[in-house]
Amino acid sequence: MKLDFSCVWQYWPFLYHGAILTLKMTAICAVFGFLLGVLLSLVKISKWKPLVWFGRLYTSIFRGTPLLVQLCIVHFGLPQLLGVTFSTTQSGILTFSLNSAAYISEIFRGGIQAVDKGQYEAAQSLGIGYKDMMKDIILPQAIRHILPSLVNEAIALLKETSILSYIGAVELLRAADQITVMSFRFFEPYLVIALIYYIFVMILSAVANRLERWVNRSDRAA
Amino acid sequence: MIELRNVYKNFGKLEVLKGINFLIEKGQVVTLIGPSGSGKSTILRCINLLESPTKGQVLIEGKDITQPKTDVQVIRKNIGMVFQHFNLFPHMTVMENMTYAPLRVNKRTKEEAEGKAMELLKLVGLTEKANAYPGKLSGGQKQRIAIARALAMEPKIMLFDEPTSALDPEMVKEVLEVIKELAHTGITMALVTHEMGFAREVSDRICFIDEGLILEDSTPEKFFGEPKTERARAFLEKVL
Repeated sequence: MKLDFSCVWQYWPFLYHGAILTLKMTAICAVFGFLLGVLLSLVKISKWKPLVWFGRLYTSIFRGTPLLVQLCIVHFGLPQLLGVTFSTTQSGILTFSLNSAAYISEIFRGGIQAVDKGQYEAAQSLGIGYKDMMKDIILPQAIRHILPSLVNEAIALLKETSILSYIGAVELLRAADQITVMSFRFFEPYLVIALIYYIFVMILSAVANRLERWVNRSDRAA
Repeated sequence: MIELRNVYKNFGKLEVLKGINFLIEKGQVVTLIGPSGSGKSTILRCINLLESPTKGQVLIEGKDITQPKTDVQVIRKNIGMVFQHFNLFPHMTVMENMTYAPLRVNKRTKEEAEGKAMELLKLVGLTEKANAYPGKLSGGQKQRIAIARALAMEPKIMLFDEPTSALDPEMVKEVLEVIKELAHTGITMALVTHEMGFAREVSDRICFIDEGLILEDSTPEKFFGEPKTERARAFLEKVL
């Protein structure tokens, strides 16, 4: 067996642009998924039952069906139904954000419910309104509990963007596919993108570590 | 100032308050005493609507706050509450704990809020802890900060729910000293405590609660000297 990486270097710009798209999609979907997920978690702990039911149904649908199927419905199905067409990135952002929100909302719900009841009572007794209480008192404490789970979600998201290749978005995996077609080499391009994914995940973990230390700074500071 | 009229509170099937009637005049310090589970804390929590009564009325300065159209936030910001477990916000420094509500709720400027906070830190003897996080404070220090945080809202009424019950014995005194000082300032106070000596010393009135009812309501001298009911006598024998 002989390894020949020259094809990878020759078509390096493919991989470079693919990596950029992978990162971009991850970042955008993480942000939207996070914001939507927080909102959805608040929906789930609301006192109004129909909202709670909606939250539960939403989560069960997105958790109960494969992400790839969801992507196909959005990208190939919706245009037929609604007459609008989405670019591959639009479909990707929509699907991944909605999907990620379902998982993140569950993480947040658990984190919010783990915050001591006394914190709510102290905030209420000071006349602090619901919105300020959640934003400045409860959620910052919830985040400390759930940061590791959020990082896991971000890592999962980064890797899952690879299924965008299925609808033709030229992210990392698709870029490697193209190289295989042009060079007839399979092992090397896939090995290289695996390595690139791995490096990205390691960087993400390192950033998360620092973030975790920053969030927990009040435990150490004098 | 604070009036409870025939207040009932149920938690599910459990009837915790069974018709509470009492009145705290402006500037009075009233202590609620009784066995655990008697409903003392629930009475306190009905005053700032952390619990809403199942039946009956709570009046603050003549206004019935159990009406549905009551703005609960407005009521609460005028009533300070100190909890057994302090409930400081762990992710905020002492200064942030003390200025958050004045800034957000009372719309004070940063200078005003921080000035007031420093003043109160002086009162509780903890000026050097302004930038510390609660995790670095002892129990007694936490509770003194919690008192100062409640006072920073310049409330007309202060509620203390077993403020020393979670403290190590050697820290009880420093907290009671602060509360005592406060009692002399003319602020209206309702207090739940198991510190009998302290209750006797600071209270204008003692209410003895058992099984959801006020059984005695008298001066500390009378209550500790010659309790009227058998149950109060039995209780005092156990705790004194």
